[in-house]
Amino acid sequence: MREWGTGQPMAGAENAMFLALQAILSGILVGSVYGILAIGLSLAFGVMRIINFAHGELVMYGMFAGVVASKTFGIEPLLILPLSFLLAGLVGVVQYQLVFRHFVGHATLQQLLAAIGCALVLQMIAQIVFGADARTAQSAFTGKYTVIGPFFFAQAQVVAFIIALTTTLAVAYLLSATAWGKAVRAVADDVEAAEIVGISASSINIGAFALSAGLAGLAGTVLVTYFPVSPSIGLAVMPIIIIATTIGGLGSIGGTFIGGILCGVIQQMTAMLWNSALQDVPLYALLLVFIALRPTGLFGGRSE
Amino acid sequence: MTREAVATAEHEAAATRSGWLLFATVALIAVLPLLPFINNYILSAVVRALVFIALGQAWNIVAGIGGLLSLGHGVFLGIGCYTMGILFNRYGVSPWLGVWAGVALAVAVAAAMGALTLRIRGVFFALATVAVSLALVQLSRHFVDLTGGADGLALRFTGTSFWAAQSRTPAPFLYAGLAVVCMYYWITKRLLASSFGLTMMAVRDDETAAAAAGVAVFRTKMLGLMLSAAMTAFASGLYVQFYMAIDPESAFGLSQAIQLQLPALLGGIGTALGPVVGGAIMIFCSELTNWAGTKAGIEGADLLVYGLILLIVVLRAPQGVVGLFARGSK
Repeated sequence: MREWGTGQPMAGAENAMFLALQAILSGILVGSVYGILAIGLSLAFGVMRIINFAHGELVMYGMFAGVVASKTFGIEPLLILPLSFLLAGLVGVVQYQLVFRHFVGHATLQQLLAAIGCALVLQMIAQIVFGADARTAQSAFTGKYTVIGPFFFAQAQVVAFIIALTTTLAVAYLLSATAWGKAVRAVADDVEAAEIVGISASSINIGAFALSAGLAGLAGTVLVTYFPVSPSIGLAVMPIIIIATTIGGLGSIGGTFIGGILCGVIQQMTAMLWNSALQDVPLYALLLVFIALRPTGLFGGRSE
Repeated sequence: MTREAVATAEHEAAATRSGWLLFATVALIAVLPLLPFINNYILSAVVRALVFIALGQAWNIVAGIGGLLSLGHGVFLGIGCYTMGILFNRYGVSPWLGVWAGVALAVAVAAAMGALTLRIRGVFFALATVAVSLALVQLSRHFVDLTGGADGLALRFTGTSFWAAQSRTPAPFLYAGLAVVCMYYWITKRLLASSFGLTMMAVRDDETAAAAAGVAVFRTKMLGLMLSAAMTAFASGLYVQFYMAIDPESAFGLSQAIQLQLPALLGGIGTALGPVVGGAIMIFCSELTNWAGTKAGIEGADLLVYGLILLIVVLRAPQGVVGLFARGSK
């Protein structure tokens, strides 16, 4: 995805070091949002071995929720984050019940195809409801900039960074410290053993999938405060989501968040040093390198 | 006669029957342009079907027989189309030669992709093919001088000419398409019966067992991918000469990749007849929904139908239309 209003050289700034720092800082802000876009996908894979190609469509619905809140009801989009989370989670439950529950445990050819089918259907429903044109949402922070020392930041991206970091920490806490989180991890490790000790794997799976989908919706509403939405954005964000997840480690929440930040930094550096139209090309190359040499990612996620 | 002999005789009779049916279908399509009530619109739809059948047959080799989910066969389609188009527009190379350059390049790219990704099991091959496709979308948009950028590349129109493989009417493409589809059908049949085909299916069904039985798993996957890439790039010759243009999205985009998979999935994955039946149904559906969509003012209604078809096939009829009929006749 192309970012607007970031990574541009400031007037009069001639110092390469300064430019690199600005690119890295912008990259961290942008990348943190890639991180929360991706942790839901990573969670669903870690627990159920499901690669949900329709994850990006749920992000897109989250973005449209922000647009409707802002343009139709005149509400600050960031205030409806819990609602986006719930609505996308609900869509996720429907998706799981209709489609994905048949594929738990195996990321097979059929599962990927079914997910692509879901993605196309969800995308076309959005196109029929909202039309094909790009839409924007107006947050209190949209289009405003803050200058800190020699650096400048888009306020919407700074707020997005704070929300992304908080959300990731909350999910990590949920999974590591609560009883439900322990049950999720037990199912991820060994379904049979988990069922023997009295955990209902199917209800844990629905919950984990709903959380995964809800996170996509929440991330979408955050994203729309500085990035326009159109029905085709769902497939357009999938590459970044997949790359962030693979680099960080499929199934690892913290790893995926850091993978997202790395993606953001690499994009911004590429835009600065080479060409912003080709900012994703090094990421695709990096994905191939990781698949060939370290498919478990940086933080030892799971491979098939 | 023993029971086995009866079974064999029945099998042969069925094979002969389906052989005659195929021959009759081919003959019917071949005489279509001569019939009085068939206009160029119908002929074009038939050519579109033949083009996507051929591309589907090529995808079926790697995914259906080999079990590798390539979501990026657009890579080989795009490489074929762009290679032919650039060679023709810039250097006046005849598409009859250009298509082989496209095939060679596609096989080289397939070998490189395979070397990086085929040693690892699971979903990573699928993810890698997506990455390569999307990287090529961005690259082909960017290098405007070579590819025409986002607008794409239109072939220099010469009028009807054998040397330039161009025609004002769709009939010549119908015959070329029919020839390619028949050839690919024959290749698939031969492959399914050959020892290499059996090896591919063994790897598809159980990689561990195949490896334990002494199958060179990596080599088998690699050869299957290269064969499929070559067939895709060769069929792309038909695509670009018929459409006369190629652009980044219709070459490397994800929705194109899905259209390359649907014929085999819909008809019956891993069978010789599947992509043929599926491709015909797919183009029929897309014509119908686009017509209905235009009336109702909905853009891209065919994608919605494709999505629903994918879901229904994967959940309810994993063996496709051919599988449904085979089950029904038993």
